[in-house]
Amino acid sequence: MRRQGLPDKLALGARVFGALAVLTAVEWFAAGWPGALLWLTLVAVGKVALIAEYFMHYSQLTRQED
Amino acid sequence: MRHAEGAARLSAAELYNARLGLWLLIVSEAALFSAFVAARYLIVGTARPPELNQALGWTITVVLLLGSLTAYRAEACIAHGGRAGFLRNTLWTLLLATVFLVGVVVEWVEAFHFFPPSTRYGTIFFSLTGLHGLHVLSGAVLLLGVYLHGRRGRYGPEDYWPVEGVVKYWHFVDVAWVFIYPTLYLVG
Repeated sequence: MRRQGLPDKLALGARVFGALAVLTAVEWFAAGWPGALLWLTLVAVGKVALIAEYFMHYSQLTRQED
Repeated sequence: MRHAEGAARLSAAELYNARLGLWLLIVSEAALFSAFVAARYLIVGTARPPELNQALGWTITVVLLLGSLTAYRAEACIAHGGRAGFLRNTLWTLLLATVFLVGVVVEWVEAFHFFPPSTRYGTIFFSLTGLHGLHVLSGAVLLLGVYLHGRRGRYGPEDYWPVEGVVKYWHFVDVAWVFIYPTLYLVG
């Protein structure tokens, strides 16, 4: 796998933050939708998946080297 | 096996074990937060007081997300030998942590007036935000530690596990809030 350079990593971080910001905005509106608890849970799980994979590098545990 | 130079430079196996150990800590912490979140639904259902400061709740949520970004950038910088970028982004993360904690204090002052800890919602609110706030505070202390070590040139591209560990913990603090924010501010 190609090792990412610093500019690539910083750009990836900005994109992930953008996605988190969008999901946070969606969350705000989802609170008013029917079945809000389900929607809020789905959005929260999506946000956690983004943070765990891209910021916390969860997949390091299943890879030999990162 | 430790390498000769750099007191904290770890072998691949040691690094893997350190990461696994930290993830196990994070999972156990997640279980603790899950119990507190579950208690909210058990004790007050989905009821929510109208006096909650929604603007403040949303603002500190964005502040914490921004803190995750700056922490990520700090780790990325030190992994590529960018000490100045690491120090700058760690300082930003510390600043955002402080802003978050100030926001929580402001929220507590308002909450004491509208739903004190003696009320059912107050019990949940103060327990959850208090538990989380302590984690933010401990994360900030750890960040300050790696910042001070980093200023002395302690870390490099091949030797930055303490930074990685603290940053992972900081992201977990954000993950916990991802569930706490809708639980306290949006549901109901």
